[in-house]
Amino acid sequence: MAAQTAASSYIEDTAPPQGRGYIIKQIAVYALLILGAVIILLPIVWMISTSLKTEDQLFTGTVNLIPNPAVPQNYIDVWDSFSSINPQMTAWRILANTLFITVLAMVGEIFSASIVAYGFARFRWRGRDLLFALMLGTVMIPSIVTRIPSFLVWKQFDLLDTYDPLTVHALFAWGPLYVFLMRQFFLTIPRELEEAALIDGANTVQIYWFIMLPLIRPIMLAIAVLSFQGNWNNFGGALIYLTTPEKFPLALAIRFFDSSLSIEAPQWHYMMALSTMMAAPILLLYFLAQKQFIEGINVGAVKG
Amino acid sequence: MGEAIATYLPTLVRYILVAIGLGIVMYGAFRLQIALGIKREAATGRALVLPWFIGFLIFNVFTIGSSLYLSFTEYNLFRAPEWVGLDNYAQLFDVSAGTLQSRTQRSEDVLAPRHDEVIRIEIGEGGWVFGAANEDFWRSMKLTMTYAFLSVPIGLAASLGVALLLNQHVKGLSFWRVLYYAPAIIPVVSTVLLWRWIFSNSGLINSMFAPAYRVLGVDPPRWFNDPSYALPAFIIISLWGVFGANSVILLAGLKGIPKDLYEAATVDGAGEWAKFRNVTIPMLSPALFYNLVVSTIGALQIFEVAAFIRTPASVGTFLNWLIYTEAFGFRRMGLASAMAWIMLVVIVILTTIIFRSSSAWVFYQGAREGEG
Repeated sequence: MAAQTAASSYIEDTAPPQGRGYIIKQIAVYALLILGAVIILLPIVWMISTSLKTEDQLFTGTVNLIPNPAVPQNYIDVWDSFSSINPQMTAWRILANTLFITVLAMVGEIFSASIVAYGFARFRWRGRDLLFALMLGTVMIPSIVTRIPSFLVWKQFDLLDTYDPLTVHALFAWGPLYVFLMRQFFLTIPRELEEAALIDGANTVQIYWFIMLPLIRPIMLAIAVLSFQGNWNNFGGALIYLTTPEKFPLALAIRFFDSSLSIEAPQWHYMMALSTMMAAPILLLYFLAQKQFIEGINVGAVKG
Repeated sequence: MGEAIATYLPTLVRYILVAIGLGIVMYGAFRLQIALGIKREAATGRALVLPWFIGFLIFNVFTIGSSLYLSFTEYNLFRAPEWVGLDNYAQLFDVSAGTLQSRTQRSEDVLAPRHDEVIRIEIGEGGWVFGAANEDFWRSMKLTMTYAFLSVPIGLAASLGVALLLNQHVKGLSFWRVLYYAPAIIPVVSTVLLWRWIFSNSGLINSMFAPAYRVLGVDPPRWFNDPSYALPAFIIISLWGVFGANSVILLAGLKGIPKDLYEAATVDGAGEWAKFRNVTIPMLSPALFYNLVVSTIGALQIFEVAAFIRTPASVGTFLNWLIYTEAFGFRRMGLASAMAWIMLVVIVILTTIIFRSSSAWVFYQGAREGEG
């Protein structure tokens, strides 16, 4: 049904129609939009509401979205609960771990991707197209296939239970999609700019740093937010490489806390406080940088 | 805080050293090529892609090679890998089938010794049972594949519906778009925990529908603890997450369809369904294709959900998680690598099928060649 109403709207775009049929359709559209909004928001509200409840409000068997009394204290108590299991796992420590991993991986990922994309986009050399196709092909490889040998590689370097596999690896342009996005962007920049700089005697490093970087800033920003989100959320990598609890990023710390609870007493108010803490920075970033998020996704899909 | 810094500093130092090292290697590769008489442009280009290429050699070529090698060995990390030939694959493909004489007959009675049931189909008074020696693997394969085959098309249809809806004369489009994309932004760990709570016995869903259950006189479903409800629950979770990214891409595709195509169709007397079928779908097919490929690969590799949600043994778990537990829980690196390779082959076959079929249904307007 939505399909048919949509097709008709294109005609209406050119000449917005009036009349009863149109009004009824618009009412239906907004009704559906609001229904969708409820489906999206209800779980999020439920998460935040649970995180503010006392334990005896959890299992009432009724839908109660407004905690009474509301206990923001949960957000502090949950960390006390943490440190009773492991005194080193303080909120600050876990947050610092997460930020350390996220920022280092993000910076490495963006800069290496931009340099590699520059090489793929602006220079002609034999083997370029083949290598580029190979790079895109690696997207298909399930991460689990390379995960066991990668683990063994880092074990050889004696760098297990360090942050290196999660950060240093990013310097090697580990995200082919980001390279692809940046290359698409480089292709749109007129060549005259570089040629003029070359005539003025600038070298490649100078051209990259002083001419290209400022020009590609929009896509760098878009990729930065996607990359921040991706690394903040990275669970699988951290799960394999980190074993010392006080080194855990938030995602792993949550799992650690979850597995310390008994199935009979799931402390959902605490779990939801942790989930909210994990989601809040990303949601905040999203609302501040929605344009970049949407742009990043769309550029990726232009030519799939 | 001092201790925290002590764990960060070594990584930070190595990070900077590797970055500087990469720069030196790139410069060296450039000089070397110049010395070999290669043109400046080609030498620069090759030097610039070197960071990726080195990573590719270590973390793709080498790892895929060793993963294949490991799949023919038995390896527990402590002793050197021991070559066992095709044993791992033989163990995984040790499957059997049997015919049931009656509905009450136990599955074990008709399967080969030490095989366990994976699929049981009852028809009339009889039926068939398929089993395997490594039943965990096949149960997980079954769960992962059915999950992908159901969640991907449903998700694609749902996100197309959302995109079409947002493409109406909607006021405040950017507001709706931001809202609809939000579930895709929330960290998957948060999402999974949230839904585990929503689906728990006294969670949101069962509380909301409690009156309905009473009227119908049924017991509340136990969702993840019930073999027949686990898969639907997983699909509901995936649908909530999929609203976002796919809809945004499809919406951009819809906005890009030239209006004159619809006008021309109207002039030709096309109805709304005909316009949807003959203009919207073909023009949108590249975006649909992209979404289909990305969602299929994603659905087969689902990981975090299984890490936080336990399912009954008869359901199995998601393949990626099973491989992780085999490798890092039980330290059966060889067997896990064999499973990973089977998964890789499945993904490559499915992606190839999608790509091959694309020439039949994906329409590239004025398909151009060249750099794009």
